[in-house]
Amino acid sequence: MRKPFVWTTFLLGAIFVLCSISRAQNSPAGERPGQGSPAAQGNPPQQGMRRGPAPPVQGPAHDPHDLAGMWNARRGYGGDTYTGQAPEFTAWGEEQFKKAKSSNGGQYTLQETNDPVITKCYPPGVPRIYLQPFPLQIVQTPKEVILLYEYDHTVRHIYTDGRKHPDDLSPTYMGDSIGHWDGDTFVVDTIGFNDKTWLDRAGRPHSDQLHVIERFQRMNLNDLEIDVTMEDSKALAKPWNAHIGFQLHPDWTIAEQVCADNSDFVSFEK
Amino acid sequence: MHKKIILSLISLGICLVLSGSAFAHHGAAAYDMSKTITVTGTVTDFQFVNPHVLIAMDVKDASGKVEKWQGELTSPNHLSRAGWTKSTLKPGDQVTLIGGPAKSGSPTMWIRKIMKDGEEVSLGGGGDN
Repeated sequence: MRKPFVWTTFLLGAIFVLCSISRAQNSPAGERPGQGSPAAQGNPPQQGMRRGPAPPVQGPAHDPHDLAGMWNARRGYGGDTYTGQAPEFTAWGEEQFKKAKSSNGGQYTLQETNDPVITKCYPPGVPRIYLQPFPLQIVQTPKEVILLYEYDHTVRHIYTDGRKHPDDLSPTYMGDSIGHWDGDTFVVDTIGFNDKTWLDRAGRPHSDQLHVIERFQRMNLNDLEIDVTMEDSKALAKPWNAHIGFQLHPDWTIAEQVCADNSDFVSFEK
Repeated sequence: MHKKIILSLISLGICLVLSGSAFAHHGAAAYDMSKTITVTGTVTDFQFVNPHVLIAMDVKDASGKVEKWQGELTSPNHLSRAGWTKSTLKPGDQVTLIGGPAKSGSPTMWIRKIMKDGEEVSLGGGGDN
């Protein structure tokens, strides 16, 4: 009688561990660790964006206005988008999406995909840069917050000196960003995009009318959460909301990652 | 008690099936991830390069005939953080690669697990390109 009990306990333990690992690796980017009662934190709960319980807070108290550090998305392997809730497209957006041949969904090979980031090494744009599975380093200075993404040396400058977006912006891959603090939330407003990239790795399109609002919150010493709102009157019928959670890795450094190496690599597939 | 054990095994099976469902890498469309193959051979080349690390090896069949195999891994950035270097593997090493075979039937595979000298070499966590 004792043996079956031991085995059952062992198996249940194994299931718990495996399911936990599986969830951690396969969670959409849009999940965040719980922070206790959402109401107590002043954040309205958003469906599919939370999981609990809250992770232990280690080390010294954190400064919520200090975003500096090496951060890696908790999304782990897999996932070509942010959330299970797909965006609603305009007719133009739908037409563009049908043309997309993503290499991340298991359908198209590297020879077949038309992903502009994979085939042409275009900078990924915002917020797709967060779906490139490499860490980023945040550097804060008095006049700007600098985002150093490991993926292909991509850099963004978020100006915090009170300037406005320039008039008559020339379109760029990563857009023009300005930021300000709203309480403990760092709000980044980005416009001035070109229409050469996708919103995610599945091929969801955007136009040069894209407007991205990112809200950065350092929840504790180890966790950074970014809520993203994408507005695009040409491509999206209504704003699309996403969430990406990050974990602090104080012992990591930014390594080299070069997209140009892709051109040598494609020939490997047979 | 036996019912509990059976239920546990069923739950474990469901969990394992679900855990593999979100696998989607850049370039993974060339591989059949629903299948798992195991290939043992001698390393002939190890390229610790972007965007994905490559292993070439000679595999002998029962008659002694050698077939050239290639295995693909995640990026060197991720493997570095799991402790890998460009010298982790070298020509002559005996390795076993476990992973998804090429859909084309060519002797290539996506590596999910690697054994060297009978011991697993960790691929670490994190994402993939």
